[in-house]
Amino acid sequence: MQAILQVENLHITFRGEEGDIRPVSGIDFHVHAGETLGIVGESGCGKSVTSLAVMGLLPKGIGRVSNGRILFQNQNLTELKQTELQKIRGKEMAMIFQEPMTSLNPVYTVGEQLGEQIRLHLGLNKREAREKAAEMLRMVGIPRAEQIIREYPHQLSGGMRQRVMIAMAMSCDPKLLIADEPTTALDVTIQAQILDLMRELKAKQGTSIVFITHDLGVVAEMCDRVVVMYAGQVIEEASVRELFQNPQHPYTKGLIASIPSLDQQRRRLYSIRGTVPHPSAMPGGCRFAPRCDDVQAACRENPPLLHAGTEHKCRCWLVAKGGEELGADVAGSA
Amino acid sequence: MAQTLLEVRDLKKYFPVKGKWFHPATQVKAVDGVSFSIQKGETVGLVGESGCGKSTTGRVLLHLIQPSGGDVIYKGNHLTRLSANELRVLRRELQMVFQDPYASLDPRMKIRDVLLEPLEIHGIGNKQERLKKVEEILEIVGLGGHYANRYPHEFSGGQRQRIGIARSLILRPSLIVADEPVSALDVSIQSQILNLLQDLQEQFDLTYLFISHDLSVVKHISDRVGVMYLGRLVEFAPKESLYAAPAHPYTQALLSAAPVANPEAKPQRIILRGDVPSPANPPSGCAFHTRCPHAMDACKTVRPELTAVDGQNHWVACHLLSH
Repeated sequence: MQAILQVENLHITFRGEEGDIRPVSGIDFHVHAGETLGIVGESGCGKSVTSLAVMGLLPKGIGRVSNGRILFQNQNLTELKQTELQKIRGKEMAMIFQEPMTSLNPVYTVGEQLGEQIRLHLGLNKREAREKAAEMLRMVGIPRAEQIIREYPHQLSGGMRQRVMIAMAMSCDPKLLIADEPTTALDVTIQAQILDLMRELKAKQGTSIVFITHDLGVVAEMCDRVVVMYAGQVIEEASVRELFQNPQHPYTKGLIASIPSLDQQRRRLYSIRGTVPHPSAMPGGCRFAPRCDDVQAACRENPPLLHAGTEHKCRCWLVAKGGEELGADVAGSA
Repeated sequence: MAQTLLEVRDLKKYFPVKGKWFHPATQVKAVDGVSFSIQKGETVGLVGESGCGKSTTGRVLLHLIQPSGGDVIYKGNHLTRLSANELRVLRRELQMVFQDPYASLDPRMKIRDVLLEPLEIHGIGNKQERLKKVEEILEIVGLGGHYANRYPHEFSGGQRQRIGIARSLILRPSLIVADEPVSALDVSIQSQILNLLQDLQEQFDLTYLFISHDLSVVKHISDRVGVMYLGRLVEFAPKESLYAAPAHPYTQALLSAAPVANPEAKPQRIILRGDVPSPANPPSGCAFHTRCPHAMDACKTVRPELTAVDGQNHWVACHLLSH
């Protein structure tokens, strides 16, 4: 299968008051055409920063890609000029953000904001753009689309705003959609509506989706393949079925065990001790070792991503027994 | 039968909305006639989506905001009839843990002072004893006494929530209202805090009202669960029967909408149409009739009352079940 997005050895550096910090240090992943890839991890693991880097939206002068390549349709995005990137962004790849409230401009109507990028990327005139905007709103299930395009974001509910964001992202029929916690701010019944809509759009248009979330339930439902991130590194990668049935990394196992389940009842929940390390004070060696129950002497050195089965990779020495090393260890030496 | 610790009767909280041009002043009915009771030592969960009035219920219940109507009876005392002074004395036994561990701690106060404050207000012990209590409570919530000298910004979200719990616990209350105590936390930290709350309940014989939007968290921690929609309780039952056999169409939709961390599960999803109506102008009759897949004529006009479907303790407010 052809990969539409290929991220290779990506390092991201942020300038901080007390020296540089590296929220992402050497991650690799790829997205096949028509596939939904989940990126899971807790706050501070680097999942959102990664998505911003792919979109070329790292805050200027503060954050930058310090190493590695981002290949989108075999084109290295990190080498493109802003103007070249602008042609791709919004058209070929689009993004939905977590906060539909803050990512829409409060002083423009929904129609103006939707119309802007339709005019820019598809070269339609104002009237055609307005028609296309209304069509997009109907497609994402917004009733009264003709009225809504004249309304301002504050007049819409959270679920409606997220539909507008999706309409905006899908308006130029992108090949890749990056969704960063698109339903985290929404209530469950509205979340169910939005997830349903995204599945429907994907089936209709064949869009590839990168779905970033901390919610394992949403991952189980939406994704084909999953990348688990911890402290700026990929620690496990597998198909969604394999990941939930046969998790290998102690962190993944811990995460799955610590969610209370609707089906089964346990008196106590499993909990991973300690907290996520801050990017400015990453532990040497395996980054999960200080919180790991199975820590051993080998963990003083950071393990590379190892094969843990077909299409299953894991960054843990425990897996090394029986598995062979995968490629050169680039991130481990950092 | 366990002893009833707290009873809520027809509790109401209406917030006034100022009139604007051509918009007469109205009221938001945040809580509109909620009744339930909490037994000593149990955990009652309140679930619902944003704006359903679950947090307001928690606050009105403790009289942090005054109710517009109804009664809260704690150990035989009608809270509504107490004077401010009497209420303050009783508050020692009624405490709250807030959602946002970042906003609920004063950034300029050391943790020691945060925890000393309730003791000083209630005039407990002398200085020496108070300091000892602070150290004790920090150990109990798993932080260690040496943290007392630090400021809130030096702590992570999970640690701050431990401080919030310590603050509510230091007066040795009998009832704690926990308003979304784990919603702002990561999964791995969430389970630490849930375990802590359960340990403390056993250790100190606590009673909890646990408010959350997360159905699986509520199921994990609660003995009985109430489901709220637009300021009203639509279902109230022991958790086993509520989750195994939800009777109200809203509860059914809510449960079916929750994503399950199992890719093999193919849930029969009930997708509700539309958004939650505004509580300033709730639908007539059953507030859920505008989104209900089973709405009948009666639902538009007559407000359904909570009735026991099994004749015992599974309460539902829905016309479908009385017809």
